Formats: sequence, structure tokens, C-alpha cells
Amino acid sequence: MHPRTGFTPSQRLNRLEYANSIKALLGLDVDGADLLPADDMSHWNPTNSVYDATMTAATEIGSSNWLMEYAARPCIIAGFFVLVAFLWTIPLQHVIAYPFVFLFFGAIMGSAWFGGIIAGFVAVALSSVIVTYFFVPPLYSMHVAKESQSFFAAFILSSIAITVVSSSRKRAENASRIARDQLEAKVQERTAELQRSNLEIKESERQLRTLTEAIPQQIWRTDPQGCIEYCNHHLCDYLGLRTEELKGEAFFNVVHADDKPLFRQGWQAALRSGDRFEIEARVRARDGGYRWFLVRSIPQRWEDGRIARWYGIHIDIQQQHRAQQNLVQAQDDLAHMQRSLSMAEMAASIAHELNQPLTALVTHAYACREWLQAKPANLEKASATAEKIIHESTRASVVVRRVRALFQKEEQERELTSMNHLIQELARLLRDEAIRKDVSIRLLLANDLPQLEMDQVQIQQVILNLAMNGMDAMMRVAKPRELVIRTERRGVGEILVAVEDHGPGIAPETAARMFEPFFSTKPQGTGMGLAICRGIIEAHDGKIWAENSVRGGATLQFTLRLQS
Amino acid sequence: MDQRETVFIVDDDESIREGVSNLLEAVGINAKCYATAEGFSAHWSNAMAGCLLLDARLPGIGGVELQDRLRESSIKIPVIFMTAHGDIPMVRKVMKAGAVEFLTKPFHKEELLNAIEQAFASDRARRMEEAVLDSIRLRACSLTERERQVMELVATGLTNKEIAQRLFLSLVTIKLHRGQVMRKMQAESLADLVRISERMNPTRASG
Repeated sequence: MHPRTGFTPSQRLNRLEYANSIKALLGLDVDGADLLPADDMSHWNPTNSVYDATMTAATEIGSSNWLMEYAARPCIIAGFFVLVAFLWTIPLQHVIAYPFVFLFFGAIMGSAWFGGIIAGFVAVALSSVIVTYFFVPPLYSMHVAKESQSFFAAFILSSIAITVVSSSRKRAENASRIARDQLEAKVQERTAELQRSNLEIKESERQLRTLTEAIPQQIWRTDPQGCIEYCNHHLCDYLGLRTEELKGEAFFNVVHADDKPLFRQGWQAALRSGDRFEIEARVRARDGGYRWFLVRSIPQRWEDGRIARWYGIHIDIQQQHRAQQNLVQAQDDLAHMQRSLSMAEMAASIAHELNQPLTALVTHAYACREWLQAKPANLEKASATAEKIIHESTRASVVVRRVRALFQKEEQERELTSMNHLIQELARLLRDEAIRKDVSIRLLLANDLPQLEMDQVQIQQVILNLAMNGMDAMMRVAKPRELVIRTERRGVGEILVAVEDHGPGIAPETAARMFEPFFSTKPQGTGMGLAICRGIIEAHDGKIWAENSVRGGATLQFTLRLQS
Repeated sequence: MDQRETVFIVDDDESIREGVSNLLEAVGINAKCYATAEGFSAHWSNAMAGCLLLDARLPGIGGVELQDRLRESSIKIPVIFMTAHGDIPMVRKVMKAGAVEFLTKPFHKEELLNAIEQAFASDRARRMEEAVLDSIRLRACSLTERERQVMELVATGLTNKEIAQRLFLSLVTIKLHRGQVMRKMQAESLADLVRISERMNPTRASG
């Protein structure tokens, strides 16, 4: 755009058409380029009619010819228009009524419009002189007749008015044009900027994508709601699925059924809390096999803290896991045998072991009597049977001794223990069972508990048994099922552990007998669990009892005392 | 009976097998011991006389499963279960499947002997029934096609005349056939013949 004239190239073309129409109107051989400002001429290319705006902008900076700007150019424009008006008026004055000067108004208007106010006034001056000399009587003199003086004055005033109005209109139009052009320029500038930054973003995204595809790990991305948006090709290759096939529930279906509940719980908790998510889980490959992965996901946030998306990565830990598994296996088996085998099961297996020799014993005893009562008595057989009876009795007593040894050995292993730590460890062991029974376990642990001397395994067995009983009691009640394990300090050296359920509670007739051996309300129970619990607690100098809690359900609790 | 009744003891615990067989020997009952269900099933047949004394929990094929397999193989020997700790659903299942008794270890001599007595009685009845059916089947083999037809119609309660009309034969011919049938089947009366016919074809008689 030309900064001074305020013409854009297109406007310049319009002016060309305008100039040609004037040329036709005037019947003059005037090139359209004449109508352009003088300094624009250097860039005018009549052969292809294209105006080189950029060149104008370049040369414009050096041009500061004041005289050219405020004297020569207005004079040329004014002279041109007045000359045209004069040449037309000469022949026309003989046709149209005297004195005919209206074409001069047109010349003045044109000069003011195209040349500005200076050109307007130059045109007024020139016109006045020409009109005075040629068209106002007395003709061909600079004198104005008395009767024409008022006419002449009106002509001059009208001319001045036209100049002012025309030039100010022109100025206003230019101003608005400039404003519009500036706006347009700004818009263009911004558009270009935007395009540039878009390109930059695209480029960096491309680089990032190349990077994520190049990393030999499985990567995914979800929206804030956890709906999958992108998977890199390592993940897609591994799963044998496309990103779209992982939306919704399918996201969880690739996880091994045993890991799915935990995975789902953890992931949904992370989505709610916005905390990072990490879990070890088996993920199904395209061939249906499973491998262990460390699945880790972190949220990316907007500046205001809202989550924009989640990025996840799967790290193959199959090798480590297998090694670890083997290592832990033996330990785990032992711990499982010792801890998660419930008291009831243990009691049942003891009962079975004792029952076998007892049955043999009884039948041999009957047989022995039969041999002796026979007529005649078969003493040989009776004696052999008696041998068997002795043998079976020994076997039975071995079982009894083994059971006693089991408890005696552990009694010697008392050590200072943090009850809270014990319970936290136990809660981890109970996790699978709780998930299976759809129970949540809440720990309310007092933090000022003294350490007590206890047999860890036995006390854990007691709490385990109480917790299992609590979970069983809630099997028939509606969800949500919650088991609370609470610790509390009592007096100086006493702590209380309570296991609370929301089950149907304890019937009064049950409450009195529930810690007795062989008392059970379960169809398959042996009635040994709570009796053994009481045995252990009493051996620790503690007390165990049950009560119904105010809000329904049963609370089984025991106390342990600091041993002096 | 040409065969001595035997108690087949299946228990994985040797001392139990010894104890029970000792007692049975003392009271004069024949006993045979197996340590596993597989060991027993290698020798079973419908000709076995007596009963099965079966531990509910066995390594490999369990007692309950063995009972199912016996039934599938149409071996109808009575079964007495014994276990150290039976649960109610298990007891219900095996009793429904036709077990004679469910003994909880350790059991009294009377409990065991009563159960065995009961099982022997039902086994005896079963074998008697099977022997009768066998002889009826043998006798029926000597019937001609026409005689079999006549017997069936007689058993459904038709008179000689009706049978003659149905088979387009003369009344005399029917009477002759009927006499042959009575003789061949060793039936003493019409009621006897009807009973024999029902036994031969129990489904048709009840339907």
C-alpha cells in the first residue's frame, strides 16, 4: 500500500479505469498514468498494468521533496483540471446562456479531490483569473463590471466552499481507508504468525511422534476421563489391536482376569485423584499369552491444574518377575501355609489326622472283644489285635504331640512387635480374599501404641481368623461391605484390637458360647477357630470378647498387656 | 447263593483297612481291601456279591466320584460311605444317589454291622431279582413269535375272542397258543402270566 496516497494496488487499478473513462469523456489523449501521483510513475509499467507496491514502499523512504509535495503537484493537478474546464467552456459559452462557468466548479472539485486543499485553492485562483478575464464582462479584461460583481463574488465563495468540502471529504475517506488497510495488514500479519506457529507445532508433534515410535516401549495416551486416544505401534503390535479397539471396557480386557479388579480399581482411583498410577499386571499379547508389565501412567496438566491427558507406559518386567517369583515362591508357600490357612481349616485337618487312628483303634478293640467272646476264644487273633491297638494308640499320641509342638515352639518366639505394623502386613495378605468377597478393609490405627512382646504368627492368626469371620458374616448383607480393623491404646501398657463388621451381629445365645470349642454357627465350621483364638490370647495374658456394635454388626476385640 | 458275600473296603489309610477287616473277620464276614478307587474298579463286575465300604475322601478318584462311575457302568452293588468329617451337602448327595448309609469315623460296631446287614439284604434282593429275570428271559426264548404276540395281548387284558379277532385267527388256535405259552413260561395262573410279562417288559407295563 502506498503510505501517503493511501492507495492499495487494487485501488490504483480502479483509478486507471477512472482515468480512462475521463479520457474518453474529454476526448483527450491522456494516459491513465497521468492521474497517478508523480512519484508513483517510476513504478508504473504500462505494458502489463501491474503496479509494484513493494517497490513503492522501498523508494518512498528516501523521498522527502517538500516542494514537490506541497507546490508542484497541486499546481499541476489544478492547472490540468482548470485547463480542461477552460477548453470546454470556450466553445460551450456560445451555446449555453451567459455567463457559463459551471465547468470550473467541476475543475475545482476535481483538483481538491485528487490534489488536496492546496490544489483546490490553486484551482480557485486560476479559475477566478480565467473567469474574470474571459467570461465576466467586460470580456478579455481583469475588470469586473458593477452588475457582475455579485455574481463573481458568489462564484468565488462557492468555489472556496467546494474546495473545503471536497478536500475534507477526501481526507475523511483517506483516513478511513488507511484505518481499514492497517487493520487488514494487521490481520495478514497475525495470520502469517499463526500459520508459522501452526507449522512449528506440527513439526514438534511430528518429532514427538517419531520419538514415541522410536522408543522400544509401549506407550499410550488417554483423555482426562481415561478414554484411550493414542497407542504407539509397539503397543498395537503387542496387543494385535488398533487404538479404536481399546476404547471403553476393552482397555481393561487386555489385562489378565486375576489382575483386572486391582488394575481397574487403581486406574479409576488415579483418574479421580489425579495421582500417578503404577501397577504390575499381566497383559495379553496378540497370541493370547500373557507377560508381566509395569504399567505406569502420569497425568499432564493444564496451567490451571486441570488434567489435560494421561500418558501411560508399559515396561516389560517378565524376566524380573519370573526371577522374583521363583525367589518368593518358597517363602510365599510357607507364609501361606502358616498364615492364610485359617484356624478352622487347621482344626479340621488335626481332627482328620486324629480320627483315622481313633477309628482303627475302635474297630480293633471291637474285633478284639469278638475274638475273645468266640467259642472257643481265638486268643491268637485277640493278642495280634491287641498289638494293633497299641500301635494305633501310639500313632494317635504322635499326632497329639505334633500339634502341641506346633504351639509350644512358637510360644518361645515372642518378641517386641508393633501391632500396627503387624496389622498392615496382615491387611496385605487379606487383600485378595477381600477382593474375592467384595469387602473393603479399613484400618483405623492409633499412632501412640507401645510395642508389646508377642508371638507374631499367633497374633496374626488371631486377627486373620477374626477378619475372616467378619467377612463371612457380611456375605449375606448388601454392599458396600466394610471391615474395620482398629487399634487403640488402653491405660499404660495395654492395647486393644477390634475387628468390626456390618453383618447381622451376634445372637444372644451365640454370644455366650462362641469361644467354646466345637461351637459353630457355620454349616461347615469345626467350632475350633475362636476357641484357638481365645487360647492364644489368654496365653498372652490378654482378654478376648465379642459385642454387637450400636450401628449393627459385630465387634470382636482383644486386649494385650505389656508384660513386666 | 453260589458266591460268598463280601465287604469290599476301599480306604487309603492302611490302619483303617486293617481294623475294619479284622473286625469283620472276627464276626465272620468276608472282607476284601483296596487302597484306591482305581484298584477297586479294576476288579468290579455285576457278579460281585456283598457291598462296598467306601471312604468319601480318597486320593485320585474320590469316593463320591466312584459312586457316580458305578452307576454309569450299571453296577448295582450297595455302597456304604464312611468319612472323618462329612459335610451336609456331601451326605445329601451320596444318599440321594442311593448309598445305604453314611458312617462318621470313628463308628460303633453296631452301626457298621447294621449297615452291612442292610446292604447285604438289599444286594441279596437285587441278585434274586436278577436271577428271576434271567430265568424268565430264558423261558421267553423258547416262545415262537406268534406265542409271544398272544402272551402280550393276554397280558393287556384281552379275551381269547378279542385276540382271535385282532390276529385274524380262529378261537381254537388262540386257545392252543395260550396253552403253550402257559406251559412254556411255567405260569400257574393268568395272574402269574401277567406278572411275568410285566417283569419282562417293565416300561410297557407301567405305560
